[in-house]
Amino acid sequence: MIPTIESGIPGFDELTVSEITEGGIPEKSITLIYGPPKTGKSIFCNQFTYHGLLNLDPCLYVTTDYGIKQLQSNMMDFQWFIQNYIQNQTLYIIDGISRLSGAKLEDTNNVKQSSVGNTSDMMVKIGIGTRLVYKKSNHFRSVLDSLNTLLAFNPDQMVIRLLKAYLRRIREAGGSGIIAYTEGNANQETENILKSLFDNIIRLDGKNIHFEFLSEADDKIYNFKSTYTITNKGLVMKKK
Amino acid sequence: MIPCIESGTPGFEELTKSDDGTGGIPENSSTLIYGPAKTGKSIFSNQFAYKGLLNDEPCLYITTDQGIKQLESMMFDLGRPIEKFIENKTLYVIDTTSNLSEGKPQQTKNIISSHIDNPTDIMVKVGVGVHYVNTNNTRFRSVIDSATTLLTYNENMLIIRVLKAYLMRINEAGGTPIIIYTEDSADKIVETMLKSMVDNIVRLDGKELTIEAMKGIGKRSSPYQITDQGIVI
Repeated sequence: MIPTIESGIPGFDELTVSEITEGGIPEKSITLIYGPPKTGKSIFCNQFTYHGLLNLDPCLYVTTDYGIKQLQSNMMDFQWFIQNYIQNQTLYIIDGISRLSGAKLEDTNNVKQSSVGNTSDMMVKIGIGTRLVYKKSNHFRSVLDSLNTLLAFNPDQMVIRLLKAYLRRIREAGGSGIIAYTEGNANQETENILKSLFDNIIRLDGKNIHFEFLSEADDKIYNFKSTYTITNKGLVMKKK
Repeated sequence: MIPCIESGTPGFEELTKSDDGTGGIPENSSTLIYGPAKTGKSIFSNQFAYKGLLNDEPCLYITTDQGIKQLESMMFDLGRPIEKFIENKTLYVIDTTSNLSEGKPQQTKNIISSHIDNPTDIMVKVGVGVHYVNTNNTRFRSVIDSATTLLTYNENMLIIRVLKAYLMRINEAGGTPIIIYTEDSADKIVETMLKSMVDNIVRLDGKELTIEAMKGIGKRSSPYQITDQGIVI
């Protein structure tokens, strides 16, 4: 059996039961979540993060679309309160965007400011962050939400390089990662390269969810499909 | 519960009512208004700005399609005169067009001119403007009418970055921004990027107003009309 972790999305783990897994997201693998704008990708990421925190899995969260304040308020819309986890340092945040707003935020041990336009600085901070969460637990989660703003501020090639380095770090440290990307934010070629870098792919289109993962055990691709809605508790899979 | 502010468009609050009974535009979130040309996008945004002004919420208005004079006369035609808000300085306008047509534009403390082809200058003035409007009231509104013209005069990715910075600034300061964009006026990637950087998406097609995405509610739509009182849903 391939070990898995709980996704935090009601119905998702039941949906993904198969002969080789007990359902959930394969542990120590990295998932791309993509789809058109406003289909719930960030909500999925946040739900995944918050569920991990509740289970005492630390999380390295790289936020590039929303600043830390917006991130907190977006989570609060669903009653997910992360302040405590920031305080007890199980949540490590790299904020790549707040500087753009002119806000002057101080770095703390586990909240670091960076800039989406400065991929080498982002990388340095990801390196430090990975070490810190790894030291806390080797069952950690990692979220990058999202590639969109990175693609607006850097050439595609640069973003792919950053992504590859990031994936290598998380894999080496044994983290389970999710990366969000809005379909159509880059050209087809870049999009194809992106998809090829991941172990698992989730696509959301506002109604349907499609989860695909490549099992290294038997070299087969497993596919799961269902429908979902966005409720005030986050994403919820529809019962079959 | 997501706190909302009044849109200024009759019927919009009803259309966007969530389970907890509130409707309107989620406060401190960003909205993209898009659709084909001449479907009332500017009118919707002007109603939004005007409603705020009536409620003592200042407005930072960036106009790229119409000069300040045209903006004033359009608002007047809609029965929403803005002179007094210009006088009492709750309306702050960055006018990026008048330079092109009128030579020497008027400049006051709250009517600032800039250049459509100089996004850096526009951003500097946005920074000053945000500071100006939120000194007296942390609750304020902001409108860019429109992103389309900015995209026409400048490199697309540069404008995407500028708009991202704009949204971040307004959000950080506590404001609620609206960006207007004419559908298909830039390539698909740009359009997708615009949609992915905002919280709410509203599409006007001349007949139907569609909430394609909004914090706290699902997709909804309703027919609308443009009357001499503006848009009515």
